[in-house]
Amino acid sequence: MRKILIITFSIFILSAAPSHKLYAQLMQLQHICSLYFSPEYITDGQEYFAEVKPDQSIEFRTTFFAHNTYRIVACTNIKRSDVLFSVYDTEKNLLFANSNYDNTPYWDFHFSSTVTCVIQVDVKNQKFTPGYVMLLIGYKP
Amino acid sequence: MFEKSYTRSAFYIVIALFTLSLALVNTSCNDRGNKQNSTSVGKAYKPDSLSFLMKFENSLFPLPSPYLVSHLIKNQNISFYGNLTNKPGNTAQYTTSFKQALNLGVYGTDLSYTNLYEHTPQTIAYLNSIKKLTQELGLGSAFSPSFFESIERNIEHKDSLLVLLGQTYSKADSYLRESDRSEVVALILAGGWTESMYLLSQIAKETSSRELITRLGEQKHPLDNLIEVLTPLYYKSDEYAELIDKFIDLAYEFDGIIYSYSYKEPKIDVENKTTYINSQSRVIISEYHLDIISNKIEKIRQLIVE
Repeated sequence: MRKILIITFSIFILSAAPSHKLYAQLMQLQHICSLYFSPEYITDGQEYFAEVKPDQSIEFRTTFFAHNTYRIVACTNIKRSDVLFSVYDTEKNLLFANSNYDNTPYWDFHFSSTVTCVIQVDVKNQKFTPGYVMLLIGYKP
Repeated sequence: MFEKSYTRSAFYIVIALFTLSLALVNTSCNDRGNKQNSTSVGKAYKPDSLSFLMKFENSLFPLPSPYLVSHLIKNQNISFYGNLTNKPGNTAQYTTSFKQALNLGVYGTDLSYTNLYEHTPQTIAYLNSIKKLTQELGLGSAFSPSFFESIERNIEHKDSLLVLLGQTYSKADSYLRESDRSEVVALILAGGWTESMYLLSQIAKETSSRELITRLGEQKHPLDNLIEVLTPLYYKSDEYAELIDKFIDLAYEFDGIIYSYSYKEPKIDVENKTTYINSQSRVIISEYHLDIISNKIEKIRQLIVE
């Protein structure tokens, strides 16, 4: 009987672990990112959360609307590593790369016209370590 | 003694892992069986939630925030169009989670619109509608009573309210994803986008504001993103299919809009960590397309709120 209980408990723990772990990582990232997100910026209410894979950068496409100032914050839960993010237009012209500014975790953008952009995110690390990256975007009303 | 107990624990873990893997194989086989069955029936299809999530996460900022659209309208010094928003009392007729989630998005847009125009009684009414729908959708833990109390306290402070709402939508988003209910997030987004576009198109037609018409014409990419987010849910039920078909039909009309873009070198203000993007885009939308697009948006909105 005791064995059955232990086995059932182990199954429960093992099956619950991945979802709980993922949620914990999401919460941890939210906390790290929010440090760079000052109150004058309003988020769209969504976090953009993706798993880092070896030799594969993550790309997001988004539209920024004219006459607005946006803040992009990028962070990771991988220790001793920086998030690199670059912003391109749809014609692949580079508009910004944080690697030119000490890998800063946040930057503001003012758009004089509506532009659809591709944001490329990567993690700079000595060797591949599994983890997650998060992007937060907000605009200044 | 230690060694014996360690061996026994290891044995239990091995057994547990074996049993778990059997359970997973069994579940996966069942899922495959279900998929095969449902394909032939054409209903009860369970979407692949993993690919849905990945696509969803890769559609960054897929839609303009409802506040952004409301700000845009307000900034044109256009008066308030109170007759365009959904009636707060309509909540009683939304009895399915499909309609409740869509209209939660609709009311979110209406709340930000009335709040920006400082129509406090209406804002409170929308807040109550949101409260009711969140309870019915089982989002109680994301929208706690203390949250609604803090919103009520800040109802006249526009910016605080927007920050609070932004934080709460973010909490709700995380909660829904964690509890594997991303379809609810997708529907909230769809409802919010539709209501924003309904307000934008109706007011653009009424006022002939060039700025609003242009902003409407710029919705091609956001609409494509929305369709991408919704498409994995197509076979979930007939009502999902009907809604997605209408969005796809609307997207065809956006193909008729002329859009041009020219790159200009950005200016960088390192001290203030700001880049000024000077590239220019232009939208040319005919009266004909404006009419067709606004009529189609109106019909989608009707499907959602009625």
